[in-house]
Amino acid sequence: MTNPFRRRSATDLSAPAKVAAFGLLVGWSVVVLFPIYWLVVTSFKRPYDVDKGPFYLPFVDFQPTLDAWRYILVELGNDTLRPYINTVIVGLTSSAIALVMGSFTAYALVRFTYRPRIGLIAVAIGSIALALVTIALGVPVPVALAAAIGVFILLAQTIGRRFRRSLGNSDIAFWLISQRILPPIAIAIPLYVLFQQVGLLDSLAALIITYVAANLPIVVWLMREYFASLPRELEESAAVDGATVYQIVRSIVLPISVPGLVATFLIVLIFAWNEFLIALVLTSANAQTMPLQVAAQNATRGPQWWAMSVLIIIMIAPVVAMAIALERFITRGILVGALKG
Amino acid sequence: MSRYRLVAAAIIPILVLTACNAASPSAVPSSAAPSTEASASASASAEATPAASQGDKFKGVSVNLLTFNGPQVAEPLQRRAPDWEQLTGGHVNVVAVGFQTIYDKAILDASTGTNSFDGYVFDPQWLGDFVGPGYLLDLSDRVKGDTQLQWDDIGPFFRDFNATYNGKVYTIPLDGDFHMVYYRSDLLQKDGLKPPATWDDYMTIATKYNGQDLNGDNEPDYGSCIAKKKGAQSYWWIISIAAGLLQGKGTNEGAFFDTGNMNPLFGQNDAMNKALDMYAKTATVGPPDELNMDVGGTRGLFTTGRCALSMDWGDIGTLTPGTYAQDKTGATITPGWKEVLDRSSGKLVPCDANTCPNAVDGVNYAPFASFGGWSGAINAASPKANQDALYDFLSYMSAPAQSGIDVTLGKTGYNPYRTSHFSDTKPWLDAGLSQGAADNYLGAIKSSLQNTNMVLDMRIPLTKRYQQDVLDTAVSQYLAGELDAAAAEQAIADGWNAITDEAGKDAQLAAYVASLGVQR
Amino acid sequence: MPSSPRMSPALASSGNSVTADPDGLTAEGQASETRPPRRAIASLGAWRSDGAARWLFIWPTVLFILVLSLFPLVASLALSLSKLSFRQGGIDLKFIGFANYQQLLFGLERSHFLGVLKSPSPLGWAIVIGTLLLTAYAWTRAVRSGRYGPFGLILRLFAGVLLVGFVWLLVQAMVSEGGRPGSLIVTLIFVVVGIGLQYVLGLGLALLAVQQVPGRRFFRIVFLIPLTITPVGVGYMFLMLTDTSKGPLEPLWVTLGLRDFTWVTDPWLARAAVIIGDTWQWTPFVFIVLLAALESLDQEVREAALADGASRWQAFRHITFPALLPVTTTIILIRLIEGFKIIDMPNILLGGGPGTATQSMTLQAWIDWNTLNLGRSAAVAYLLLILVTIVATLYVNVVRRGVTETV
Repeated sequence: MTNPFRRRSATDLSAPAKVAAFGLLVGWSVVVLFPIYWLVVTSFKRPYDVDKGPFYLPFVDFQPTLDAWRYILVELGNDTLRPYINTVIVGLTSSAIALVMGSFTAYALVRFTYRPRIGLIAVAIGSIALALVTIALGVPVPVALAAAIGVFILLAQTIGRRFRRSLGNSDIAFWLISQRILPPIAIAIPLYVLFQQVGLLDSLAALIITYVAANLPIVVWLMREYFASLPRELEESAAVDGATVYQIVRSIVLPISVPGLVATFLIVLIFAWNEFLIALVLTSANAQTMPLQVAAQNATRGPQWWAMSVLIIIMIAPVVAMAIALERFITRGILVGALKG
Repeated sequence: MSRYRLVAAAIIPILVLTACNAASPSAVPSSAAPSTEASASASASAEATPAASQGDKFKGVSVNLLTFNGPQVAEPLQRRAPDWEQLTGGHVNVVAVGFQTIYDKAILDASTGTNSFDGYVFDPQWLGDFVGPGYLLDLSDRVKGDTQLQWDDIGPFFRDFNATYNGKVYTIPLDGDFHMVYYRSDLLQKDGLKPPATWDDYMTIATKYNGQDLNGDNEPDYGSCIAKKKGAQSYWWIISIAAGLLQGKGTNEGAFFDTGNMNPLFGQNDAMNKALDMYAKTATVGPPDELNMDVGGTRGLFTTGRCALSMDWGDIGTLTPGTYAQDKTGATITPGWKEVLDRSSGKLVPCDANTCPNAVDGVNYAPFASFGGWSGAINAASPKANQDALYDFLSYMSAPAQSGIDVTLGKTGYNPYRTSHFSDTKPWLDAGLSQGAADNYLGAIKSSLQNTNMVLDMRIPLTKRYQQDVLDTAVSQYLAGELDAAAAEQAIADGWNAITDEAGKDAQLAAYVASLGVQR
Repeated sequence: MPSSPRMSPALASSGNSVTADPDGLTAEGQASETRPPRRAIASLGAWRSDGAARWLFIWPTVLFILVLSLFPLVASLALSLSKLSFRQGGIDLKFIGFANYQQLLFGLERSHFLGVLKSPSPLGWAIVIGTLLLTAYAWTRAVRSGRYGPFGLILRLFAGVLLVGFVWLLVQAMVSEGGRPGSLIVTLIFVVVGIGLQYVLGLGLALLAVQQVPGRRFFRIVFLIPLTITPVGVGYMFLMLTDTSKGPLEPLWVTLGLRDFTWVTDPWLARAAVIIGDTWQWTPFVFIVLLAALESLDQEVREAALADGASRWQAFRHITFPALLPVTTTIILIRLIEGFKIIDMPNILLGGGPGTATQSMTLQAWIDWNTLNLGRSAAVAYLLLILVTIVATLYVNVVRRGVTETV
């Protein structure tokens, strides 16, 4: 059997270096996996076993029991299944939408030039503020929206042209990421009021909308990096050959940036999957998501470790499965062919 | 013009989305209904009361009840909802959320007019914030003649103080919460010691056992386990310690503010000095990370036999079966003091017939009904049919037949609050307690409930801020050494005064006095 | 707005496509080619988008975020300037001006927010004076270089004053007799130390994970796991792990003779615990992004260099790392912005304790929020917003601009 640590090419690590690298990787794996192991083991313990002191090995140190699993999956069956489905729907939908919208925006910010004029921005903000205020005051939504758009179009021609000083792509990008600075606490109640006005409280739609808005900046910034690192020649030569923007994006840019897209999708999915505070405020009976169930295991009289462990395990299982499935897209192989060709 | 076309393209989805959602109603209970109805009809309910079957009284009515996802507290509600539905045809949708958010959800729901909840099973402390703006239904007339509920069976304290605000009844008690001290009866018996009557006794006993092996596993154990974690409602324990020094003349005297001028009693005075000092001292004979333990942790330590003494609500009593501490646990009324605060001078004076009219054997006890006990309240803005249905459900839950069993089960989180809960020890024996343990446990609860100096938890507007923000922070800073006693007391007093001033001193004083049932 | 983009002069002459960056850092030089035919120029123009793509790609995002972010932003500001109370039938919002801010910065809550500020020790004085001198020196150099107009100089002066004031605050809270850091400074500690650790670890792991070692796939998946757990869950998990009586590390403490050891009573140990938990959770984020970036790198230059005899370290330092710098600065910016919002770990592990030692700004806002002090909660959030915006702006202008052409 050949040595798995052998050197495979001139630029590869030497065998001892590989062993060292392997050792380090194993080390960090232990750091990552031990808490997970503890979680799994705890899910099979009775409350008394948890209190009694650290027990490590099932059947050796303690008698494992399925009580916690039965409690979460059977007794609380509906109360576990519904949030679970909600999490899946909200997570996948919002991430997909954010990825599509954000990637296009990222590409635009990298390849096109924008010069938004301050006057125009001010008018846009004013119009939207007008719409929101009128909605808050009770005007029906479609009317308010129509009014706001009308105002915008009118003023854009006048005030918008008046102030010519403009910003650039970098400012747009910075504005996008600065949306994430305000902690969810501060926006939770305003969002509650906003969704209450449009009757979307305790609905999956509210969560999806919020998560898309929250995660778009991340998608934009991450994909900007990947797109920026793509050499222009490919796209340029295609353009010279007469391809439209859409064709370029679909047939050239997208295939190359698969690693970036996959990585970004996973990250954004994780953010949406695990988000807690907004879900807490915006949902009550119907649209509850899993993180709320996890936190709810903290009874007023102490956390129910065993039940919490079960919930965490079933929460991370699909995400890990997805990561396993998608991981190969983040590898070099797909890339090499595209660049050479 | 393409730009304008794009703008138009943007409007349409928005309008469509809004139109769609305006059309769909928020269908709440329909998804949950089939499963519960199936189980209700499938299982013959063994616990159905033998009342005349009015199976259709609330047919078609569905109510949303907000409560805490314990599993305690929600468990009995969820368990009995199908039975009640069998009896009356009404459906209860128990919406259980994390403890941190019941208050937020309830008040957001009521104040914004969303009214998606027909009622709440929550902390009666919050009546201060809910009654003022008129969010709760007045139940005074309903409870008086209710044969199912048997209002007079409920302990006077819970009837007249907890459930009542400003002379009117707003909640139906489902649980009786107050602190007690638990001790290792086997150890004390072996050494011929009596359960602690004062906090000095407590300290003596704790010091004696600290460092010894108390459960036979060759590891040193602890004398006292009292949860002190910040942000985990630990501020209730300090109130229990200080209460005996602050209140001597009965529940109406109050233990938080002076009923004459709203001065915080939790300020710079000798009583607080003593209480804080005692609190810090208990940490020296406790587990090393007691400062970060919440009540679940200390409870676990006691049931595994690692503490000689502990303070808790009624839970430890019902949690001991099956643990090391089974039949080794005794309960007693929260220790008191032999002195009390003279409010005008800020100094401590010895207890006598004048200063401590409620003292027992010279000790001023002041059992603290912390938190009050989970109770059901009804949303004043709900449709009448829902209100009637929910009232009937809550009355059913509280009725002696149901509650008598629920309070014996540790998993419900409900503790005794009715006279009838003490008269029959059989349910307790069924739950796994030995006769001696049951007698001892119930005796401790009875003596606490019958004490005329019981301390009512704070129930004025902004209570959460007084306790969870100012008190909790100052006390944990004191325990961590960031503030000394004087600075901590000053911080509490300043913080409380700032909140009082912000809410309006006269209004707060009136609310405080009203919550104590003081007739002026 | 005119619909054709401004053509960069470089394009007309060399046929290269250069997005005219306002600050003038252009793409790496390319050999100029012969000018493409007229139809091709039009296509290039279309690609650089005079068409609808230009708007279609960006407006949905901008509009979406604008609508959803504007209202909360304005509403929070309004909340922070008012007092909230509940009355019959609704909510009462009373305007109280800057009272909430005043409380946080100068009043009752000052010791919680800024900290307990005392007179600096000699070392503290040295630090402050040193910073003052350095800043003055840097500013005079900027003046003398003549590179900046009056507006730029005033801006720099302002930044300098901010910096010195900030160091003064830090010193008063930490390098002084009896001083104690408040949530502002505690948050900064979490951010600076935490992100530093996360980046170093994430980079190291990414570098290791691209090597041809057995089990690569396994490691990549495993390393991702901490990120997949909901932050509240991670908090509780670490609470379990760090429990000194029934946590899994208990035998370790006992064998080390630390039976009565506890980290919950010491402020710095408590902060360290929070940082460790935070790092465990967020290193995968850095890891996965850097991994994807490493995988996307063109290996030709690096392989050529190695073939020419360069050492691995040299190859890394001069080829790989500079190529990673843009991604690095992005990931650090993102982590920076997220890191300032840290709340779950300190809240669940310690409730912000012991005392207020691990209370971050968001945690302080959360405590206020939970006790329905919405006005003050919004004020803390807004102060956080101001602080992080300043930090992020400085970061983008100083670090990123110096490092990358896409700012």
